[in-house]
Amino acid sequence: MKLDRINVTINMKTGIGIISLILAFLIPLIFGINQYLLTVLIITLVFIIYSSAWNLLALSGQASLGHAAFFGIGGYVSAIIASSLGLPPIAAILVGGLFAAFIGVLIGLTCIRMREWFLAMVTFGFAIIAHTITTELSWLTGGWDGLPAKRLIPITITNYIMYEYYIMLLIAVAVIVIIYLITKSRMGLALEAIRENELEAKVMGIGVTKYKLMAFAISAFFTGIAGALEVHHFGYITPEIYGMDISFWPIIYSISGGLFTIGGPILGTIVITFIWEVLRTFGLMYERLILIGVILVLIVIFLPKGLVSIPEKIKSR
Amino acid sequence: MNKKNGILFAVFVVSVLIAGCVQPPEEEVKEIKIGIVAPLTGGASTTGTDMWQSALLAAEEINARGGVDVGGVDMQITLVKGDTETSREGGVKAVTKLITEDKVDLLIGGFSSGITYADQVVASEHKVPFIITGASSPIITRRTDIDTSYFFHHCPTTDDYPEATLLFVNDVVKPRIYERFNFSADRPLRLAVLYQDSKYGEGVFDGIKKAIEKHSLNIDIVSAEKFKMSETDFRTALTVIKDSKPDVVYPAAFLNEQTLIVAQGRKDVGLDTIYLSVECNDDPDYYTGVGRWGEYSIQESRFSPYAIPSGPIHDVVAKFKADFENRWGTSPSMMGASTYEGVYVAAEAIKNAGTLDKEEVRASLAALEMPQVIEVMQNGVITFSKDYRESKFELYMEQLIWDETAGETRPKIVWPDNIKETDFVLPDWYEPGSP
Amino acid sequence: MDLSVLIQILVWGLYAGCIYILLAIGLNLIFGVMKVVNFAHGELLMLGAYAAFWIYTLLGINPYLIIALAMVILGIIGVFIERLCFRPIMGTGKLNEIFLSLGLIYLFQNLAALLWTTDSRSIHSPYSDVSVSIGSIQLPMDYIIIIAFTVVFLIAFQLFMKRTTLGRAMRATSQNREAAVLMGIHVERMDMLSFAMGSALAAAAGSLWVISGQIANPYMGSIPAIKAFAVIIIGGLGSIPGAIVAGLTLGIAENIVPLFMQSFVGLFGVSMSFTAWKDTIAFFILIIVLVIRPTGIFGEKGE
Repeated sequence: MKLDRINVTINMKTGIGIISLILAFLIPLIFGINQYLLTVLIITLVFIIYSSAWNLLALSGQASLGHAAFFGIGGYVSAIIASSLGLPPIAAILVGGLFAAFIGVLIGLTCIRMREWFLAMVTFGFAIIAHTITTELSWLTGGWDGLPAKRLIPITITNYIMYEYYIMLLIAVAVIVIIYLITKSRMGLALEAIRENELEAKVMGIGVTKYKLMAFAISAFFTGIAGALEVHHFGYITPEIYGMDISFWPIIYSISGGLFTIGGPILGTIVITFIWEVLRTFGLMYERLILIGVILVLIVIFLPKGLVSIPEKIKSR
Repeated sequence: MNKKNGILFAVFVVSVLIAGCVQPPEEEVKEIKIGIVAPLTGGASTTGTDMWQSALLAAEEINARGGVDVGGVDMQITLVKGDTETSREGGVKAVTKLITEDKVDLLIGGFSSGITYADQVVASEHKVPFIITGASSPIITRRTDIDTSYFFHHCPTTDDYPEATLLFVNDVVKPRIYERFNFSADRPLRLAVLYQDSKYGEGVFDGIKKAIEKHSLNIDIVSAEKFKMSETDFRTALTVIKDSKPDVVYPAAFLNEQTLIVAQGRKDVGLDTIYLSVECNDDPDYYTGVGRWGEYSIQESRFSPYAIPSGPIHDVVAKFKADFENRWGTSPSMMGASTYEGVYVAAEAIKNAGTLDKEEVRASLAALEMPQVIEVMQNGVITFSKDYRESKFELYMEQLIWDETAGETRPKIVWPDNIKETDFVLPDWYEPGSP
Repeated sequence: MDLSVLIQILVWGLYAGCIYILLAIGLNLIFGVMKVVNFAHGELLMLGAYAAFWIYTLLGINPYLIIALAMVILGIIGVFIERLCFRPIMGTGKLNEIFLSLGLIYLFQNLAALLWTTDSRSIHSPYSDVSVSIGSIQLPMDYIIIIAFTVVFLIAFQLFMKRTTLGRAMRATSQNREAAVLMGIHVERMDMLSFAMGSALAAAAGSLWVISGQIANPYMGSIPAIKAFAVIIIGGLGSIPGAIVAGLTLGIAENIVPLFMQSFVGLFGVSMSFTAWKDTIAFFILIIVLVIRPTGIFGEKGE
């Protein structure tokens, strides 16, 4: 009986996922090539990838407060490679991701033995350091002026925005599937064990260092890809990409949606973006940010598993 | 919750999201739609709000006079808000919405170069004329990765501020110092720069170097220190600057920083020199914040809360200030002033074009020649240069003089001669650099 | 560079260090008793600065007399934060503390911006015209007062912790919570007290900050708080002498190191300013220390 129950929940979640996906694919067909809608959705997709990647690192018990470092590094490397080597953006994005992963391993190495808040501080610091170094290397990065970046799809192609949307959607789906597979693999179990109790995990013979580093590398890789995608969508990159808000958004999205779950960052990004855009139409300013703060505090205290856990909560009543 | 409910929930979430993004198409009305791109929320919301309020005032004035004559039809101006949220994502969303959803005929505004760079990509792609009234980087109309022919820069750039400021220093301040301390005429003036680590600060520093070269000024930069944006402790940098023995200090800073630089320099470090200041600090908050420490410092400006240039536009400026205060209860700022003019520029260009066709409006803007409005322009006309489509402002210099009744300093225009209110004073406590 | 310039800069570093120390001691106290890290500690500094500003504006009394009042107000706010936010999540994992603090940062910063706008506020100290010159070195009166204040606070704090029953109970709680409960100490009351005291110390730092001629605005807290974290990490969690040494070192280093770097690249004929690298340098120091000693310089094994 118990097993059946689990199967049903998994099926339900998969069902929701598949239906949402179909809807996502249909959007341009239903609403036509609506550039504003697609722009909002593209940015949302970028942040879904980004939040999912951040969440993967959090799964190993490592909460980064400076993921904008990887977001920005991925964006800069990809923009520079695409312009100087003439690589198509879609290939340059991979290079950006790989470079971010490389930096991720380096940062991971310095963080590996640290406790949660030490790590939070150090990652936060890395975003500031990355920002400083980027602006100083102006011969390479354009300094404060930034750099133009090739568009993902040249705007000379009609309906390019639709193609961009579909590319983003495909990449997002691929990233989520890969992250899903990782969480279901040995590695996922190992990461969870490490998060629960690092010492015990070590005693159980889990290669703590190896898995923590892998989590850092993979998370940084996907974050770099997300950053590169955003940059090639905007067509321009400036050091603003290292902003504190860029580091904090994926955290807000993941927590509100549900930490350590696949659906959490996705749902969180969509719901918070939606609330954000609706409140914009009411002309609210600081109230929006205050609300974000209140949501965070309330969710951490009363709904630690996030919005995705609401159905279970209702069921268990 | 069963399976069906779950699916319904998913459908609900997605459809609500879509509903939030898409608005029903609006009916075709005979009106001019102008999008105001400004940071109404986030870090720069004060400036953004000023820009929006000024633009609205201009639109209301034009509409009250019967609107704009577009090829024989009188059209009213409708403004649409585009909040950039002081972020790149917000900026791109806002500009895309203005262009593709609200179908604006023209864009005005743009604040902070870093954000405007990304906004421009969208505007250029849709070939929408954009009068930029708040981003100070000269790159705005010089970048080569996109077609910039739709961008019209109506605010001074970071090349313009130092040029005017250093010409003034060379013509007025330097002779006074040299006369008092008996320096030989060939001694170079010692200038120290303290600039914000940002596009703006770096732009001013570059502008200083360009201006010295362009006018072959006999000025040495004896030290150049950078500081992080929104820094509050400048004592170390100022101590290093004092050690380099400058005659004049040029901070390229925002209001909060400038206030602290001058106060800490005079009070804590004992750097008793002439402080220059970039135009964005010509704001009531600056005079309140800097207090007595700001006395005799120099403020470059094009629109001041307290000083009105004598001459032809005096009455218009006074009226604008009064109207703005009646309408909004606060005093207008500099970014507001150029955005206000931006609306007039747009109206004039559309009238000349006789159509709302974007290409025609662009051509009309490029060929525009209209009398100055509330800021002093070179030769008294607003016109966009042929090469980079920049309008040229006549920047002026003010000196802060103590005002007993206000209990604060007040700016008095001291340069150029044709609009000045009083003469530059070299204070008694002034200490020059090394001989 | 002149020696006198160097000494002058040391003085500026000493001042910055005092602010960091006051923040860091408060953080250390809360951490010691509750084993909780409040990343929103900088927002308490900000609220303290605003409290001082408003009391000063409304009453117009000597700003140094206000500090005590601001400390009491923030102490009360601290109790509320502890009871409403941190107590419910105690023991649910360190990540939750980080995320909760993040929410509090958003909440307080923007609430302040909404209520009091983002305009910067300042207090004009009655001693701002007074400064003491020793040779070519300039010592503004306010700085001397601030350094003296910090020393007095530290001594009073030490005496409280060592000589009073309450202080001993707090120390007992931080050493071993279970044993403290067995000894009949009301540990939850200790939690509240530690949070109140930590917040009060942040308020003292914030008040001194505005009085010394810096400004208050809703975002002022983040950078000093981050530095204070660096200080307690470098100094070792829970170590008071560690916090003092690390606070002073960091305050001085971030002011001096840019100059050394400037002279260093100057040797290669490169002229470059590093004064904007303050925060970057602080983090470099933090990372280097942690790589060498993951528990900080004075830190023991930790919890």
